[in-house]
Amino acid sequence: MQVRRILAAMALTATAGLLATACSANPAGTSSGVIVAVGAENQYANVISQIGGRYVRVTAVESNPNTDPHAFEASPSVASQVAAAQLIVQNGAGYDSYMNKIESASSGSGRKVIVVQQVLGLPGTVPNPHLWYSPGTMPKVAAAIAASLSKLSPAHAAYFRANVATFDTSLQPWLTALAQFRAAYGGTPVAVTEPVGDYLLQAAGADIMTPFGLQADIMNGVDPSPQYVSLQDSLLAQHKVKVLLYNQQVTDTLTASFLALAHHYGIPVVGVYETMPTPGYDYQSWMLAEVSALRKAVASKVSTEKL
Amino acid sequence: MNSLLRLLFAPGFFASSPVHVALAVGGIAALVSGVVGTFTVLRGQSYSGHALADLSVTGGSASFLASISPLWGFAGTGVIAAGIMEMIGIRRPRGRDLATGIVRGAGLGVAALFLYWDTTSTSTTGATVTILFGSMFTVGSSAIPLVLAFGLPALAIIAILYRPLLLSSVSADVAAARGVRVRLTGLACLVAIALAVSLAAVTVGAILSTALLVGPAAIALRLTSTPGRATVTAAVIAVASTWIGVVLAYDSFTWPPSHDGWPVSFFIVALIFLGFLAAQLTGRVRRVGG
Repeated sequence: MQVRRILAAMALTATAGLLATACSANPAGTSSGVIVAVGAENQYANVISQIGGRYVRVTAVESNPNTDPHAFEASPSVASQVAAAQLIVQNGAGYDSYMNKIESASSGSGRKVIVVQQVLGLPGTVPNPHLWYSPGTMPKVAAAIAASLSKLSPAHAAYFRANVATFDTSLQPWLTALAQFRAAYGGTPVAVTEPVGDYLLQAAGADIMTPFGLQADIMNGVDPSPQYVSLQDSLLAQHKVKVLLYNQQVTDTLTASFLALAHHYGIPVVGVYETMPTPGYDYQSWMLAEVSALRKAVASKVSTEKL
Repeated sequence: MNSLLRLLFAPGFFASSPVHVALAVGGIAALVSGVVGTFTVLRGQSYSGHALADLSVTGGSASFLASISPLWGFAGTGVIAAGIMEMIGIRRPRGRDLATGIVRGAGLGVAALFLYWDTTSTSTTGATVTILFGSMFTVGSSAIPLVLAFGLPALAIIAILYRPLLLSSVSADVAAARGVRVRLTGLACLVAIALAVSLAAVTVGAILSTALLVGPAAIALRLTSTPGRATVTAAVIAVASTWIGVVLAYDSFTWPPSHDGWPVSFFIVALIFLGFLAAQLTGRVRRVGG
């Protein structure tokens, strides 16, 4: 009697398990016409949702502003998100290589993966992986997203195309702010802790005085050489730079010492981020806020340490 | 003369403030490690030193979570672990290696968790490298008082307990018969080792700190015949290899492949190892000759 009851219970559990697997194997959205998408970083997730609008359901893998994305490790819940996704946008350039591992572990049929570094035609070894700070990046990514969404849901292709046009237009205030900064303050010497905002600074015509070797050492979490540390110290202590761009997501005792030096010598600080600060920002307003903060720092010596 | 100086010291060496701090912090840590290390080797406690180094990884990684100087974490867990190890060691001498090994494993496991949290939730990307292999050029001059505060008690313990420590390392029974409180002496010595290891962990990293602790002492004990001379020699070797290591790390700025310098802990440990090899070889030659 007892044995039979246990067997019955086991059979029930097994059936329930099978049902559960069958359900999750079927991507949730297809029947309702909603495309399930994943952005490896929340800035890409944000652009997906701006292009896909009501026809996509987007989740972001990385959105924690206290985490260094370079050191991110994926959890089982991320794996199940990725397994269910029909469209994935990831940065590439080794920045989110964990995504490749998860994707190869769950080979979804017909899943579309957009690697931003490949969309831009860059090699995987590009030294600065923070591609979204470059003004040329997102229009190309938006177009690629629209193309993939149109393949997944051809009926709404015109809607996606229209959203790309809206998105490109909405970048205009940021591009204008960059051009104005370049015109007024081009060649302004700046120091950085990490290469995160370098593409933005280059577009703004700023002169990055911090050697890339130091930036790369801090990005990669290795001990920098004393020559670099001395040089960066002197940039701040001798007022050779007008502003310090401080990566709020990649910090250590060394970056903290640069921050303290900047405070001590009255060098304004602008906080920059690896992922989009939330809540309150979309990609465009985030980028615009960074340029506004840079302008405020250079023009009126006002720090914006956190957005 | 001038060109020789320039060959030995790359431009800017003497003006560089990270170098000044590295010479001061590294020098103090090496001095303490050399002195305490001699007694570590004499008393056959190298294994304890190694275990304390591993356990200090746990404290170091915890201190990053608490945003305090890693030295507090290194020394804190080191001293606590020293107390536990002394308890285990006295009661069950045979089980000591096993118990120490298990505690070590557990400590490193907790360290793995803390390091994961350090890099994923507090955005201290460089924590792992700093704790395991040291970041001597990023210590900052504010660490010097703290390094002295941990180093001086370690030296004081050795100075005060110089004779009892030597006596009880030869024979615990004889020492006890002469009125030495063997257990208390042993505990004090372990605390000194823990402090020395934590200082070395700040300079060459927790994983490599035992190299600085036992390496110079092992060389000194090969070259000299009395504990007093060995202590002085070990301190000199430790400080010399640390300072030469700092110079080489500074000079390596222009070396391949990346042109931004080799890690200073590599140079220090390599110099100590070469010194040990040389001491072994000369010892052998002397023995063959005699």
